Amino acid sequence: MAQPFDAVLVANRGEIALRVMRTARTMGLRTVAVFTAADRDAPHVRAADDAVEVSSYLGIEEIVKAADDRGARLIHPGYGFLSERSSFAREIEGTETVTLVGPSAAVMDAMGKKDAAREIAVAAGVPVVPSYANDADPATFAFPVLVKAAAGGGGKGMRIVRALDELEPSLAAAKREALSAFGDDTILIEKYVEHGRHIEVQVLADHHGNVVHLFERDCSTQRRHQKVLEEAPAPTISPAQRELVTTSAVALARAVDYTNAGTVEFLLDSDTGEVYFLEMNTRLQVEHPVTEEVVRVRGERLDLVEQQLLVAAGQPLSFGQDDVTVEGHAIEARIYAEDSFGGFLPQAGRAELVRWSDAARVDHALESGQVVSTSFDPMLGKVIAWGEDREAARARLIDALDRTGVLGLTTNTGFVRALAARDEFRDATIDTAWLDHAEVAPPSALVPLTLAAWVAAALTGPRFAAAGAGDPFAPDGWRSAGPKAPTLVALEHAGRVHELEVDAAASTVDSSAVRERTLADHVVVLTIDGRDELAVVNAQAHSIEVAYQGQRFVFERPDAFADHGPAAGDGTLVAPMPGTVLDVLVSVGQQVAEGETLGAMEAMKMELALKAPFAGTVTEIGVSAGQQVALGATLIVVEARDE
Amino acid sequence: MAEMTELVADLRERLALVRQGGSESARAKHTARGKLLVRDRVDRLLDPGSPFLELSPLAATGMYGAPGQDNAVPAAGIVTGIGRVEGREVVVVANDATVKGGTYYPLTVKKHLRAQTIASDNHLPCVYLVDSGGAFLPMQDDVFPDREHFGRIFFNQANLSGRGIPQIASVMGSCTAGGAYVPAMSDESVIVKNQGTIFLGGPPLVKAATGEIVSAEDLGGGDVHARTSGVVDHLADDDAHALRIVRSIVATLPTQTHGRPPGAVEEPHQPPESLYDVVPTDTRTPYDVREVIRRIVDGSRMHEFKKLYGETLVTCFAKIHGYDVGIIANNGILFSESALKGAHFIELCNQRGNPLVFLQNITGFMVGREYENRGIARDGAKLVTAVACSVVPKFTVVIGGSFGAGNYGMCGRAYDPRFLWMWPNARISVMGGEQAASVLAEVRTDLEGEEQVEAFKAPIRRTYETQGSPYYSTARLWDDGVIDPADTRRVLGMGLAVAAHAPVPAPNYGIFRM
Repeated sequence: MAQPFDAVLVANRGEIALRVMRTARTMGLRTVAVFTAADRDAPHVRAADDAVEVSSYLGIEEIVKAADDRGARLIHPGYGFLSERSSFAREIEGTETVTLVGPSAAVMDAMGKKDAAREIAVAAGVPVVPSYANDADPATFAFPVLVKAAAGGGGKGMRIVRALDELEPSLAAAKREALSAFGDDTILIEKYVEHGRHIEVQVLADHHGNVVHLFERDCSTQRRHQKVLEEAPAPTISPAQRELVTTSAVALARAVDYTNAGTVEFLLDSDTGEVYFLEMNTRLQVEHPVTEEVVRVRGERLDLVEQQLLVAAGQPLSFGQDDVTVEGHAIEARIYAEDSFGGFLPQAGRAELVRWSDAARVDHALESGQVVSTSFDPMLGKVIAWGEDREAARARLIDALDRTGVLGLTTNTGFVRALAARDEFRDATIDTAWLDHAEVAPPSALVPLTLAAWVAAALTGPRFAAAGAGDPFAPDGWRSAGPKAPTLVALEHAGRVHELEVDAAASTVDSSAVRERTLADHVVVLTIDGRDELAVVNAQAHSIEVAYQGQRFVFERPDAFADHGPAAGDGTLVAPMPGTVLDVLVSVGQQVAEGETLGAMEAMKMELALKAPFAGTVTEIGVSAGQQVALGATLIVVEARDE
Repeated sequence: MAEMTELVADLRERLALVRQGGSESARAKHTARGKLLVRDRVDRLLDPGSPFLELSPLAATGMYGAPGQDNAVPAAGIVTGIGRVEGREVVVVANDATVKGGTYYPLTVKKHLRAQTIASDNHLPCVYLVDSGGAFLPMQDDVFPDREHFGRIFFNQANLSGRGIPQIASVMGSCTAGGAYVPAMSDESVIVKNQGTIFLGGPPLVKAATGEIVSAEDLGGGDVHARTSGVVDHLADDDAHALRIVRSIVATLPTQTHGRPPGAVEEPHQPPESLYDVVPTDTRTPYDVREVIRRIVDGSRMHEFKKLYGETLVTCFAKIHGYDVGIIANNGILFSESALKGAHFIELCNQRGNPLVFLQNITGFMVGREYENRGIARDGAKLVTAVACSVVPKFTVVIGGSFGAGNYGMCGRAYDPRFLWMWPNARISVMGGEQAASVLAEVRTDLEGEEQVEAFKAPIRRTYETQGSPYYSTARLWDDGVIDPADTRRVLGMGLAVAAHAPVPAPNYGIFRM
């Protein structure tokens, strides 16, 4: 049925939409984007040949109709959104004209429920985590056990139970969560693996019965079940384990008549070496690039999206398992809009300046000036580094993250960079729970401060002076009565004003020797005390932002009028006008907080709240409710609390 | 006579000593209180990297005590100059409390007033960084009562403000008695809390006068003046914060037009340091002043006027840092022709609105019967009239001798140049020491024999030698500073830049004696 497809609709946004379109274009296919109102100017809309506005990226009927209307015979769902919705696949299967780039609705249904998937796996001879029937006697359980929702993923409705008495409440809570998240409160109870590594196998199957695997990935660096760093091949598994997971994955795919690209996930018990099937993802994974980077088919690289589109077009795989080899090592870091060092809070805002590294593959959809909202997945892009071996790949990843700068909003770039540099990651001793309790420190602000000061001084110096050459007041620090003065740069960071002395002539910042290597187009490279330091810098009138080792530092230029509230010393509240005291809310000796309302008075038809100027103790109350007071009368006295 | 490089090294040494301010213990005490030293304050007030044209840094040298001695008053205890704040050129007047508590000696007053004059002439906002105990009481008769004494500071503040020249004060230490009027007379003022104080009478005086016992902080501290008295407008946490507030105030002032023609400026073709080699340090050795001019002007290019007439005075049009100027430079003694040529050229520049630069190296007008009889005084008068009535900005650099009436014709201090600078080789006196000694010996009838005459002349020569020194001059504020010749182009450029802020009226001359 190799019909000549000429257009593909991408039912997604962000980097994956761009990723799919990139391949589609190289294959000579027209691309159709869908977008919601908020995404009208998004990169994926601009990248597409044609675009259709939809009310939601989950709007099954409108998306299928859009494909039909615009003559797109293929729909690529990307990941997330509708990619694993069997209802979407079924809707498409119901049309004559459109084909989903993915497996059938039936396969999605079968693999979408963990209990059903588990049974299929068992039948296919794939090892599964020992589990307990729901009606089994809990007294026979070998704790810890994992309680999880049958439908679902992403850690929702999942609980580790370490003792018998915790079981009942955990079950109840997991059911509640599962019901609200997935509309299905079926719960599984299975052995909990304390120290596990997440291994997954990429499979590819056509409509002609051919199934191959493209080896495995390791995604053990996770935070609360969200993958942070992913790599291929897995660094810790033995040839026997690799053989087991890859053959199991192929067997499972065959067992369900799988078509297109899919991923079979396994848990490797680091303590026992056992491998257990977890689930199958019936879509292209976020981390598919690490497979693309290392897999070779007869020595050539493989484009997974191209393979997906060819398979969807009905073509048979052009290669067999024996043609597939692995070369080198690849590691991917996911870049999220999140403040990893500040409680992992999601971030939103305008990415004023974005610099992606050209030292590694970067799949992204974030450009300078783009607004990142919290309405969508906070992933902004992925940095994927390849090396001849794992250490080379890791070094390149760190280098690429060092060259990555997202300024204007905070991302986890600094966090993943710090993570990639950790000994535990280097030694591949991380298990899937490690990150949940590990302390990862952000880079110190010292080097970024030096970089910022140097840039600030350079920008105010004669090199970039607005007045131009020849200005007798050129800002070169000249003194008629002494040697040139260094440039002073005051920068506020974490509530402290740092004053740095930049001496361009002596090439120093404070006591550090600095040699400028590059300062252009927002990228600065300085040799500071013999070490090369690189940063992406955005200097604005009131602040300087620096991305150093991926981490965003915001240095404010001190504002003379900011945060200089009432000073301690005078805690006497006096009547600002003659009037009447309405209320006194405190008593002598009472502790009050700064800004707390202590009472109220009425004057000139206005009601005035009497507020504590600072935290302290009420030491005197000079009035009572209803009392007439003169201008300047002492009302309440607060004494500051000693810090 | 020493080489110019040695003279410049000597100048730098003198400046380095003065830059330290007061004694080491006074400085340690000052910084221990969390206060910044005066030049550190200036550095933080100015825009990052802004140049600073410090005025008369060697004022009061040797006048109250030898440099480095306890009774010396380095820089007259006050730093004044011109720099950029928030892109605007301002005059800075900053007390140095490490020097005699920042009290006003006679030369301190003179230096403060000179800075105000410069602000007035060039329409420059004034920023006062106040840290002073007020008048130096032991010398009150030379500080307090006269027209050009302490009171004039406030008279100037009122009148400058009245002319729309902003007056801004930051109180960073004491501000006592008359000094209290500096912030009070300012348009907008700042005080540093727990550090700045303002009162007409300090606690000891209050106690003596009324018996009231009160702390300095309660009498006139930052909180009192910012919250209660309203004497100041802003309360700062510390020096750095106060200076940020001052910068913020300056940012609210109208922007200045720089009056600088757009486009790149071509530097002179020889480096400025080459001036050291072309000028003989002995003022009696002749040389071609064009060698100096070409090292100061843009692209080393000069449009010379009347090159073949009155050759002892070089007049030319040129540009300095892009500004059109007319330059008048001595190239020998003044004759009638050179005086006439100078007067003509000054009229031209006034007609065209070109600022005038005088490069002074003059032993005087030609003397002798022939010249007197031909009326050299008449022609000299024309030059002096032209200089005196000239309305365009004038700048004088004494690059050699400045003797006698030549000083007048070449725009000496009395002729109100906007700025007057001296090179370290300069000499200034009514006539040369040898001539003065000879004249005085000539009028004495009681001297007999070579030996007596010599004994009479020697101390006169020594006196002239001492008083003719540029350091003697600059100590007394007869100039705005002794400069490194290599800086001549830069200081002239800065002077031209600030001079462009004040409008130039139409010229109107006195009678030229024909």
